[in-house]
Formats: sequence, C-alpha cells, structure tokens
Amino acid sequence: MADDFVVVKDLHKSFKDFKAVNGVSFTIAKGEVFGLLGPNGAGKTTTIRMLSTVLEADSGDITIGGYSVKKNAEAVRTLIGVCPQELALYEDLSALDNMVFFGHMSGLEGKAAHDQAMKNLKLMGLEDRAKGKIAKYSGGMKRRINLAVALMGNPKLLFLDEPTVGIDPQSRNNIFENIKALQKQGLTVLYTTHYMEEADRLCQRVAVMDGGKIIAMDTPYNLKKKIGPPDKTTLEDVFLNLTGRSLRD
Amino acid sequence: MKRALIITLNEVKLYLQDKGDLAFGLLLPILTFALMFGAFGGDTLFTADATIVNEDTGVYSQQLIQQIDDVDGVTVKLLSAEEADAKLDRSDILLALYISSDFSDTLMAGEPAQLTFKQRGNGGTGGQILASIIRGVAEQINQQFQVYNGVKVAVADYNIPDGTIQVVVLSVVEGEQQQPTVGVTEEITGGSSEFINQYLPGIITMYVLFSLSLSAMTIVEERKRGTLERLLTTRLSVGELFFGKFISIIARGFIQTLILLLLSYAVFQMFTPLSFLACLVVSIVFTAAAAAIGMIIASISRTESAANWIAIVVTMFMVMVGNTFFQSAPGSAMETISKFSINTYANEAYTALITQSGSLGDTWFQLVILMGVAVVGLIISRLIFRAVPGGNK
Ligand SMILES: Nc1ncnc2c1ncn2[C@@H]1O[C@H](COP(=O)(O)OP(=O)(O)OP(=O)(O)O)[C@@H](O)[C@H]1O
Ligand SMILES: [Mg+2]
Repeated sequence: MADDFVVVKDLHKSFKDFKAVNGVSFTIAKGEVFGLLGPNGAGKTTTIRMLSTVLEADSGDITIGGYSVKKNAEAVRTLIGVCPQELALYEDLSALDNMVFFGHMSGLEGKAAHDQAMKNLKLMGLEDRAKGKIAKYSGGMKRRINLAVALMGNPKLLFLDEPTVGIDPQSRNNIFENIKALQKQGLTVLYTTHYMEEADRLCQRVAVMDGGKIIAMDTPYNLKKKIGPPDKTTLEDVFLNLTGRSLRD
Repeated sequence: MKRALIITLNEVKLYLQDKGDLAFGLLLPILTFALMFGAFGGDTLFTADATIVNEDTGVYSQQLIQQIDDVDGVTVKLLSAEEADAKLDRSDILLALYISSDFSDTLMAGEPAQLTFKQRGNGGTGGQILASIIRGVAEQINQQFQVYNGVKVAVADYNIPDGTIQVVVLSVVEGEQQQPTVGVTEEITGGSSEFINQYLPGIITMYVLFSLSLSAMTIVEERKRGTLERLLTTRLSVGELFFGKFISIIARGFIQTLILLLLSYAVFQMFTPLSFLACLVVSIVFTAAAAAIGMIIASISRTESAANWIAIVVTMFMVMVGNTFFQSAPGSAMETISKFSINTYANEAYTALITQSGSLGDTWFQLVILMGVAVVGLIISRLIFRAVPGGNK
C-alpha cells in the first residue's frame, strides 16, 4: 500500500542458536496505532530494536518512511522516537535537562528544545516538577518522562514498548489521551503491551506474536469475531486462545 | 560536532550533580598537594627570635646586638634578666644571650670579654642554630678588636690617634665582610627543591591516569542506564558520542592537574610562567592520550567490572614500567618495555620542563607520541565499538 509508513518483510534474528524473531512481516499505515502483542519472550522488543536501527537483522527488509533501515539508518533516525521498555533516563538530572538533552540529540536547536520540553512536560502533567531530579520521581512519573522523551524532536513514528507498566489508572489515561491526540496530528505508533484492553482501546490493528512469529494479525474486532460474539469476547480471550495457557520465560 | 559538545556539556552536568564524585575529584589534588607540602614543603630560611639580656650600657654591646639583628631571619628581642629567667623557667624560650655590664669596658681595656648563653637542655635545634649565629657575630667583633689592638700596638710610635686607627680597621674589616676573600654563596630554590621536582611529575602522572579509568567507565555506564541504546536511535553518531565523552574526560583531568600545578606554582615556586604553561600543555596532551586508551577499554567492556579491571591492569602497567617514581636503567629490558607506557613520555616531558628548566620545544618528541596515542586511540576505540552484540552502529 502506498500509504504504508512501515513495511517489514520476513524479518529474522537469532541470538546464537536461538531464533528470537523468525520470519516476521507486517505493515503499519501512516497515522495508524499498531499493536504488537505476545507473551513474554515472544520477540516484540527484539523486533522494535531492529526497527529502531539499534539491532541489525540477520535477514529481511525494513522500510520506514520510504527509507531502508539497512541502507539509510541515519534518515530513519530522523523519523523515529523510541520509548524503551526499560527506563532510559539520566536519573541524576532533572526531567527538563533530560528532555532538552534528548531534544538536542533529536535535531532540535537551542530554545526550540527547551520550549518543546516544557510543552511535553505539560502534556504529561509534570510541568511543576520539571526541575526535579528523576531519581526523586515516583515510578509512574518516571514512566511518563520516559515517554515524553520519546516525543522530543517531533518524530513521525513512535515505538512504545510497554509504556504503561506499573503506573496508576490516572497516568495510564493521561498517556492514552496523549497518544490519541498525537495520532490525530498524523503520528504513526507501534505499541506493545500486555494489557489487552489497552490494545483494544487504542489500536486500529494488532499482531499477536509467539515464539518469534506472528500468529494472527487483524483489527481487534475481527480477531474477537473469530472466536465468539465480538461484544461478549475480549481481546484477552483471543490472546489466550491463540497463545495457549502455558507459561513462558 | 555540535552534538558532541552537547554530550560533553551533559557529562559535565552529570559530574557536577554527583556531589561525592565532585568533592573527590577536586579535593583529591588538594589533599595530595597538602601531603606533598608536608613531605617536601616548609620554610626555606631559618627564622628565629634571639632573646638577649643586655646589662651593658656601652657601645660595643649595641654594636653586637645590631649585628645579630642584621642577620637574615633573626630578630632580636631584648628582655630584662628577670624576664628572661622566668621565660627560660617556663620553657617559653630555650636559649638567651646575657651580655654582662662590663662588656664594653672590658673590650675597651683590650681584654677578652665574655658572653653567656643560658639554655634549657640543649637549647633546641633553633637555639643551637641561633647560638652559632651569635658566636659568628661575636667572632667578627673579636677579630675586629684583635686587628685593632694589633695595629694600635704596631703603630704606637707614630702617634696616630686611636680614632683614626679604629675607622681604618673598621672599614677594612667591613669591606672584607662584604667581599670575603673566600666567598660562600647560598642558592635557594623554592622548597626542598630536589624531592618535589622529582616527585611532582610522578604525582601528576598518577592523576592523569584517573582519566583512563574514568573514560573506561563512560560507555558502560551509559549502557547500564539504557541511555546508550536510546542515544543510538537519535541523530547522534557514535563518533560524536565518543568525541564528546573524550573531551569531557580531558576537561575533568585537566582541571585536576591544573589545581595541582597551580598549588605547586604558588607554594613551591617551581615554575616560571612559561614553564607553567608548558606543563599545562603537556598535561592536556597526556590526559588526552590516557583518555583515548580508556575509550578503547570502554568500547570493548560489556560490564562495569570488566571496564574497571582492565583499566586497573593497564594503569598499573603504565605506572610500573613508565619511570613514574624511579628511572629504569639505560639499555635494560625495562627501558625497552617502558617505551610502551605513555607515562614514560609524560615523565620525560615533565622532567625536562620542571627539573631541567627546558622549554616546550624540548619536549616535542614526547608531545608527538602522546598526541599520536590520543588520536589513534580514539579512532581505534570507535572502530572496534559495537553498541550491542550484532548491532549495526
Ligand atoms: N541480547 C540477547 N541475547 C540473547 N538472547 C536474547 C537477547 N535479547 C533477547 N533475547 C531473547 O530473545 C527472546 C525474545 O526477547 P524479547 O525481549 O524480544 O521478548 P519480548 O516479546 O519483548 O518479551 P517481554 O514481553 O517479556 O518484554 C527472549 O527469549 C530473549 O531471552
Ligand atoms: Mg519486551
């Protein structure tokens, strides 16, 4: 599709003999929020790391905004913002310092970085604590800053790897509303989560991964319809139905 | 390039945030310096108060006191006999000179006059030095009288007035004192110059090697924090990241050495303004070389402890074989091995500048080697760096 902002074709990645990602293909349309679901160890983070130019794929092709990740990673980096699964912040610095710093790294100059940092902090409801050290923040506040940093530099594509882990319903709601507002402005999002109702609420389409492969991909509605009446079935039912009940590592 | 400088600024910011680290980094050179000062520093001249009890009213006691007071570093304190005795009793002073009331008259009569030292115990080291200074002065006066008396006897028949003899003798003796036939000159350079000059290069060298451990840790810290991966998804290139870190470490190492050198300059007067600047230049280049080696360690270390251990081993090697505190024998195997330590070159440069009063031009060879290590080290560190196993940046 001409409208596809992200095109992933037959992606493979092994760590030694272990196939973490084993032939993954999908597309994300411009302005779409695409959910990547799957049990622990399914290969979601590994996929995101390859898409975000950190990890090199063993084989397969990734195109983002028309640029090949393999051939033109630099151009891809100007388009993306990443909210990693683990916090990635300078704990000894203030939220503002963190955001301004990453803003500079993402191509913002001087005052523009500061202005955007303040705007994003406001978005996250943290403007009062802008000068506070991250180390003194609560877990939920750190999560919100982790996300806010990803927004610096006006990315066109956002990778959100479990952005809502360990935060209260208020903060979660705040994050949802922000994502929806950003989507309205044309932002494309790749979203991973273990909360199925989140995916149901936010994502236009979801892919369910297991064992390094995509085992189902459709709109939440269509996926639910396949296993029961869509209004009585949850995405969680779909998930358990697809991936089974055995525990993963 | 701009982003590299922002990395540097961020590093500085982080450094300033960590109060403990900051205090350690800045206080350590001052502490080292205090130790150095304790070991090598102190007064360059003997100074003491000479306690004198003068019961004589004649001119010769005045002359004696004047001459004692004229000795550099000696200040005369006149006391009455009771005061002096009391002070001696309380050990406030350890030695006092007593000039008896017949001192001038006795001398005038051409007879030997007596001076008395009263002292507690051996009078203390200061007292002994003082006593010998006073003996020296008395000896001068004594000579003066002997010459005067000898001349007076010899020319007795020519009816020359005593006053004339005295003036001539005095002027000859004084002339002799000012331009002695056997001259003794003292050369005083700042502090106990020998030791400090030998040890300062070693101490600076130790400091600069902190930069090596510091830079060895920078990438691992970033990795552990998760910020390394995050940075890799931005426009920042690894080259910029490395260069920014490299500069921040040089800046930090430089500030430490600057403190050390400034204190040495102020207290030991070891430098001329020019040699001070030359030492700073050597320090920057040396720090750059150490930081570059640290960056190589940083790029191969996956964990903090790995970075730490490799840095320690490399530092130990550099110090041990690098002629840091002792010189390896010329032509020995040790001398050959020492060529592989950047310390060798830094120490050579410092020694040339500090001990041999050389100029920067005399250290060009060492500077070129150290600069080469810095540039090549930084390039190598970048080339062998892989952000993540199987990473592409
Ligand atoms: N650097 C690595 N070296 C070795 N194995 C790895 C590495 N990174 C990931 N793996 C393995 O690859 C598999 C997929 O990991 P990944 O982090 O992508 O899973 P995930 O779907 O994000 O899981 P989670 O929901 O728990 O975050 C796991 O089995 C993991 O152990
Ligand atoms: Mg994950």
